[in-house]
Amino acid sequence: MTREEVFEKVVEILNQYSKKEISKENISMETSILEDLEINSARLVDIVLDFEDAFDIEVDDDDADTVATVGDGVNLILKKIQ
Amino acid sequence: MNDLKFKERFALKIQYMAGWVTLPFWSTLLIALMRFVGRYRIQHLREIRRYYKNLKRTVEGPILLCSNHLTKIDSLILNWSLASTWSYMKSFKIFSWNLPERANFYQNYILRTLCYVGSCVPIDRGGSREAVKKSLDKVTYLLRKGHTVTVFPEGGRSRTGRIQEDKFTYGVGRLVNKVSNCHVLCVYLRGHNQKNYSDIPHKGARFYMNMELFKPESAYSGLRATRDVANQIAGRLVRMEQAYFAAAGQ
Repeated sequence: MTREEVFEKVVEILNQYSKKEISKENISMETSILEDLEINSARLVDIVLDFEDAFDIEVDDDDADTVATVGDGVNLILKKIQ
Repeated sequence: MNDLKFKERFALKIQYMAGWVTLPFWSTLLIALMRFVGRYRIQHLREIRRYYKNLKRTVEGPILLCSNHLTKIDSLILNWSLASTWSYMKSFKIFSWNLPERANFYQNYILRTLCYVGSCVPIDRGGSREAVKKSLDKVTYLLRKGHTVTVFPEGGRSRTGRIQEDKFTYGVGRLVNKVSNCHVLCVYLRGHNQKNYSDIPHKGARFYMNMELFKPESAYSGLRATRDVANQIAGRLVRMEQAYFAAAGQ
């Protein structure tokens, strides 16, 4: 799976939680999930669990803590699927 | 597994000792303020204290108190309700540590001192991950050492006056899963005239308090277990709130 494909899927997942309408055109790897997308911090675990389901990976608590931006999420997924 | 350095563990021990030694002074002062200035009363205080005393005697393992959150002094009221100053003098371990928001309670010298002796571990909500993790590591350590800790799983005072399940932080689930044999005491606390959130309870408040002890178990592991346990706690607190309003005829 390429970085681009992972990015698209991540955007799709984030869309379910963000109060804003987001697409791959209006967000970047540096976009903050909490601040820029206005996603409640309590929902971060749900998002990471969706990553697990969508990419068939397992993420532990410490890895989940590293996810702050869209890029963090994409990189974590790439690390896990490789 | 210990995530704290010796220096940090030692600092907590010193804080604990300082709190215990000075307890009669600040506890008397705060209780007097609550009783005579706030004119607060706890309904069924004797039964509540008997229940808590019995719990501490019979439950093996640490107890994490999870409460709804409507005012900035909820943790004070909780500690006042659960045992007398004399009981805390005899066993200060039953006095609950808590995690106040640094921005709210560490702005002046007096509050800082009271928080220090009053067993507080400040937390920077929305702060750096390292800082938040450090605070959580401290309370994890304290729980493992058999201390009692209070957390407000909504992460702040409810803006609606009711428990906000959607605001529930999963950190509470992680805390429970990191501490073996951890029991959760769900507490529903509310002043009779408390319609919404506020800084302090309204004058003359009579506090209703209900408690339910349980030991969360999850069939999952990792993050799913964290979420599952947090949801179990949230579910209990919501049911306790529903029971309160049903009894009040609302």
